[in-house]
Amino acid sequence: MADPVATEHASTGTRFTRWLGIVTLVGVVWLVAFGLLASPEDVVQRSSVRMLYIHVPSAWLAYLAFIMSAVGSLAYLWKRTRSLTWDRVAGASAEIGVLFMAITLVSGSMWGRLTWGDYWVWDARLTSTAFLFITFVGYLAVRGLGGSPDQRARRSAVVALLGVAEIPLVHFSVKLWRSVHQEASVANPDGDVKMNGMMLFTLFVGIIAFTLMYVWLLLHRQRILAMEDTMAERGLDLAIAERRTDAANAVTPPAPKPNPGTTAPSEKEPV
Amino acid sequence: MDDAGFIVTSYVLTLGGVALYALALLRRGRRLARRLPDEDKPWV
Repeated sequence: MADPVATEHASTGTRFTRWLGIVTLVGVVWLVAFGLLASPEDVVQRSSVRMLYIHVPSAWLAYLAFIMSAVGSLAYLWKRTRSLTWDRVAGASAEIGVLFMAITLVSGSMWGRLTWGDYWVWDARLTSTAFLFITFVGYLAVRGLGGSPDQRARRSAVVALLGVAEIPLVHFSVKLWRSVHQEASVANPDGDVKMNGMMLFTLFVGIIAFTLMYVWLLLHRQRILAMEDTMAERGLDLAIAERRTDAANAVTPPAPKPNPGTTAPSEKEPV
Repeated sequence: MDDAGFIVTSYVLTLGGVALYALALLRRGRRLARRLPDEDKPWV
């Protein structure tokens, strides 16, 4: 482990991320207040509609994070924009996406228990979402394989581009197959929003708060990945330098050993 | 509120999960940033 170095800035935060964090926290408090207290009950779903305000923004954020991961991967693979920064953006975004996809699955299964009477049904939307989640868990596993940063970036970029192709399948699964999951209330192709104004406003607050949260998490995670890469590079340089020193010592003729028949004066036995 | 247990639990799991992840990121970032000079941090 390296010793601490002289540094004035011992964090991944900046003035921008601090302000962003504060605005995000305000948004989350607003969301909780409106989601749990101020928004009205639904005629059909009654109180359980309150789960909409965290379930839909979580799903939106997971989609956004996976799409950003694919954009970063594409930018890395394209020669003109090739940079490990893009790979780190892709990796950081995918990790955040996996977290929010897991949250979507958990909150969705709790909502399903209230509306369908079961935590899980092998429905097209639920199954395709679980498949998307597992694909990006696989993406993170691929990133954890050995090799140089460029090998890691190339391998994982291919997985991200394959994984993101599942998103349209997940989104349109409720139209393509018979599904117990409801169709989109806001992002539907005919543009007819079937929601009460206060409900729509609360959902909008949730989506804004979660999107700001994503930017905050992405900035911090991407900076951590950059520092981890630098540390790994430094560790490799140090290991190479040590091996070179060992090799140089091995070819240098050893110092002459003292004749075994003679003893040092200090070691002479007293007469 | 009907089913308050389920609804509040889903909020706690969602926001609590994100808060734990955010705290872990901050701690990890601080630990790494202490071991690197400022010139290795482009955001500084």
